[in-house]
Amino acid sequence: MASEPATAVELEEEQRQVEEAQAGNLDAMRPILERYAQPLYGTVILPRLGDAASAEEVLRDTLATAVEKIRRFTWQGKSIYPWLRQIAINKVYDVHRQSKRSRRLADAMVHEVPIESDPDSHADAQLIADQERAAHRARIDEAMVNIAERYRLAIELRLIQELPREDCAKKLGITIGTFDVLLFRAVRAFRKQFGERTIDSGGAQDGD
Amino acid sequence: MATDDDDILTGPVPAPDADATPSERARAKTFADLVDKTLAGRTPPAMSTDDRALLEVATVIRAASGKAELPAAKRRSLVEDALRQAVGGAGGTSSGGVVPIERARRRWVPWAVAGTSTLVAVAAVLLLWLRGAPTAPTVAMPEPTPVHQLSRPADPLIGPISREQVGDASTRIDTIYADRLDGYRERRLARGRKP
Repeated sequence: MASEPATAVELEEEQRQVEEAQAGNLDAMRPILERYAQPLYGTVILPRLGDAASAEEVLRDTLATAVEKIRRFTWQGKSIYPWLRQIAINKVYDVHRQSKRSRRLADAMVHEVPIESDPDSHADAQLIADQERAAHRARIDEAMVNIAERYRLAIELRLIQELPREDCAKKLGITIGTFDVLLFRAVRAFRKQFGERTIDSGGAQDGD
Repeated sequence: MATDDDDILTGPVPAPDADATPSERARAKTFADLVDKTLAGRTPPAMSTDDRALLEVATVIRAASGKAELPAAKRRSLVEDALRQAVGGAGGTSSGGVVPIERARRRWVPWAVAGTSTLVAVAAVLLLWLRGAPTAPTVAMPEPTPVHQLSRPADPLIGPISREQVGDASTRIDTIYADRLDGYRERRLARGRKP
């Protein structure tokens, strides 16, 4: 998705909204939360959780925490988004710590994506979100390289292009039942590669 | 070659062209249905641990590809919930907006109202107690109504009717009317004299 850097006017407007919220008018937070809910959900929370329902809960908690702690936020001449993003990442870590899910996959998912954190950089929310999305995609592509070509194709057609099963099967010249098996195995193979790669690179704390 | 797929998450993954067992086909079908529902935004809340783990992977792949959009209505709902949650679960204002935190923190208002109400109630009880129990008002029993003013049979007034006077009913009616009119006048005039 193409993005435009935030203009100075937009930043000034955001600063005014933050200051108004810090003065006690919480309604001033509404436009900020609505603006950043999608990038937080789509690029920060959901890729690290993999579960839409949990991601929505984490997003709600993130936004609520931001409203509660808005007085602690210090405006530094750039968007509030990095602050919101950090709250969201902390919430995601909390979920993984509390859940009983596979540690390997959890560790792979919460592996931190390096983001420009130079306080002097005036990277805005959309740039950070794009950067983060690209980093996630690069990690996905790395894992895809290590699985069989037909598995890669099945994932590409069904999960990325979101073609119907019938169309996927037709493109591969197989029955729908066989395509179901192919996708099932493809996701299993991807999962193993996704976790293994993170562990090999020292990103995980321990194994399964 | 048929494969043993008992250990879905940690077991080896068969080659793409390896034959599938009926069990694997059934699991693959179940997973395919879950993916269908997830793509349609209707992820079922209940599923096996293995299916959930695999579906999470599928969701991560989609999210990383920018395919995970939060519907606008859902986004607004989450923002509204978050704002309400932040002010302590208040029910919201009539306009659907959020009570500013300064106003929400005026917790002394309900206590002041409750305290004032209690004081008024105590004062009312004391006042009643100091005035003592009210004396019951004496009710004067009305004098009994004279018999000639009550409804009564006309037989004593008319007496036996002879065979010759049977057709003279109008005379009897006039007699009864005059008698009753006397009682009416007496009662009417007596009432007018009373205070």
